[in-house]
Amino acid sequence: MIKMLLTLKNLYVAGNGKKILNGIDFQIRHNEVQALLGPNGSGKSTLAQVILGNPKYEIIKGGIFFEEREITKLSMEKRAKLGIALSWQSPPAIKGVKLSQLLEKISKIKFESKKLDLTPRFLERELNLEFSGGEKKLSELLQILSLKPKLVIFDEIDSGLDIKKLEKVAKIIKKELVAKGISILLITHSGTILRFLKPKITNVILNGKIICKEKDYKKVLRTIRKYDYEKCKKCKLLAD
Amino acid sequence: MKNVKSANYWQIDHKIKNILGIEGVVVLPSAEAWQKFKWVKSLFKEKPKEGYFLWVKKQISFPLTTCITIASPKISQNLTNLLVIEKGLRIKANITCNAAENNLYGSHKAKGKMILKEGASLEYSHFHQWGEKDFVSPDYEFILEKDSKLVYTYKNLLPPENLILKTTIYSGKNSSSNINFLVNAINSKIRIQDTLILEGGNSQGIVKLRLVARKKSDIEAISEIVAKNIVKGHLDCQGLLVDKDSKISLAPKLLCQNKNAQLTHEASIGRIAEEQLIYLRMRGLTQDEAIKLIVTGFLEIK
Repeated sequence: MIKMLLTLKNLYVAGNGKKILNGIDFQIRHNEVQALLGPNGSGKSTLAQVILGNPKYEIIKGGIFFEEREITKLSMEKRAKLGIALSWQSPPAIKGVKLSQLLEKISKIKFESKKLDLTPRFLERELNLEFSGGEKKLSELLQILSLKPKLVIFDEIDSGLDIKKLEKVAKIIKKELVAKGISILLITHSGTILRFLKPKITNVILNGKIICKEKDYKKVLRTIRKYDYEKCKKCKLLAD
Repeated sequence: MKNVKSANYWQIDHKIKNILGIEGVVVLPSAEAWQKFKWVKSLFKEKPKEGYFLWVKKQISFPLTTCITIASPKISQNLTNLLVIEKGLRIKANITCNAAENNLYGSHKAKGKMILKEGASLEYSHFHQWGEKDFVSPDYEFILEKDSKLVYTYKNLLPPENLILKTTIYSGKNSSSNINFLVNAINSKIRIQDTLILEGGNSQGIVKLRLVARKKSDIEAISEIVAKNIVKGHLDCQGLLVDKDSKISLAPKLLCQNKNAQLTHEASIGRIAEEQLIYLRMRGLTQDEAIKLIVTGFLEIK
């Protein structure tokens, strides 16, 4: 039997007293790339934060399992140590703390920053302070690669990067993560990254529930581009 | 002495452990200097009991170092220190005062005068590291003559139970000063009073305070710039409250006695943003490690 890497079972989550996730069932295997698409406010980023254990969100029902071990109540740092990593959509700036200082504290392996076209000078800048959108994504990717994770959730890695940079980032993700058997969950609004990383399953989330799991990501993208997410609600290939 | 590459003063409790001068740098116990030089007598009302006298008369290529330690229980140090940099010299000084152990109930009082003669430059790094039951009270005066330049950084990452820190800077014509106070209070009562007096025309100064209050700490800081001429001064006071049981009071004060002077200030007291902690914890740092990293960053002065 193939061991699941991450399993979310009937997950109900609230934040600020408001229900955000309404019964999420999701599984990702080792060595698998999946995508999660959904409109703004559908619960994509909340799902990522909940998987990593952000205490801002309250789990009302259901559970999170990593390598078949329940981690629903595990602290964020312990989840990180198990090998779950999140590339933030909008990482916070931390004044006075250099990117190099953080890397020194968290790195399990030394990843050559020049492979991402990041100069030594960039590493000496204060974390996310006055970083451009693209610089934030590259800084996130560098940290992720240094963490040597088992599962990476990329929250909107394709926003803020021009197509050339995105292609390069996708190539690095392929070479340094996908080729090494690391599982990836791509959270994306635009779906631009999908054609570079070709997910095995593309999930669609609407109102805090995954309503579609489709093997052909192109089909999902075509549908969304043509009909927005309204068509998804009526799709025959509804989730189990 | 020719090949010696240091000039230093090292005192433990009341005993001088090492004292080393070099050609062009006179290093003496301050009591001895008081006896020896008439001009030293004019600087202090009373004969010093203990402390150092450093007189730099020639350019040196290495920093001056002093280290004053409390190593025995219930020691009460009463220091008088004097540092004089002669005209045009560019000097660095690493000054350390500390307790060798955490529970010595020591008292460290210091009165100091630092004189920068015309065109002299001093980069003075002042490190304090104390035990949690100590009482520490330094009172320093910096006298900046014409065209001199001072960079003074007071850094206290392990503070005593009680710290009263008084600093006064007198700035002469065309002089400049860059003053930094970095204090990480842990279960401490801290009182800071610093005054930058811009007396000489065209003198300028920046004073930065970075104060962190943790574990029932109580910090009060009054930071003042006085403009007596056509001068420029800026105060930048920032506090970081790490927990609920601590408090910080910051009082930036500008006193302008010349209508063409330019004095500005900024002050803020904040707390660690929850999002920053979450971000760092998702990278694998514990809550304490994340706080430590954020505090270290806050106390970093560019």
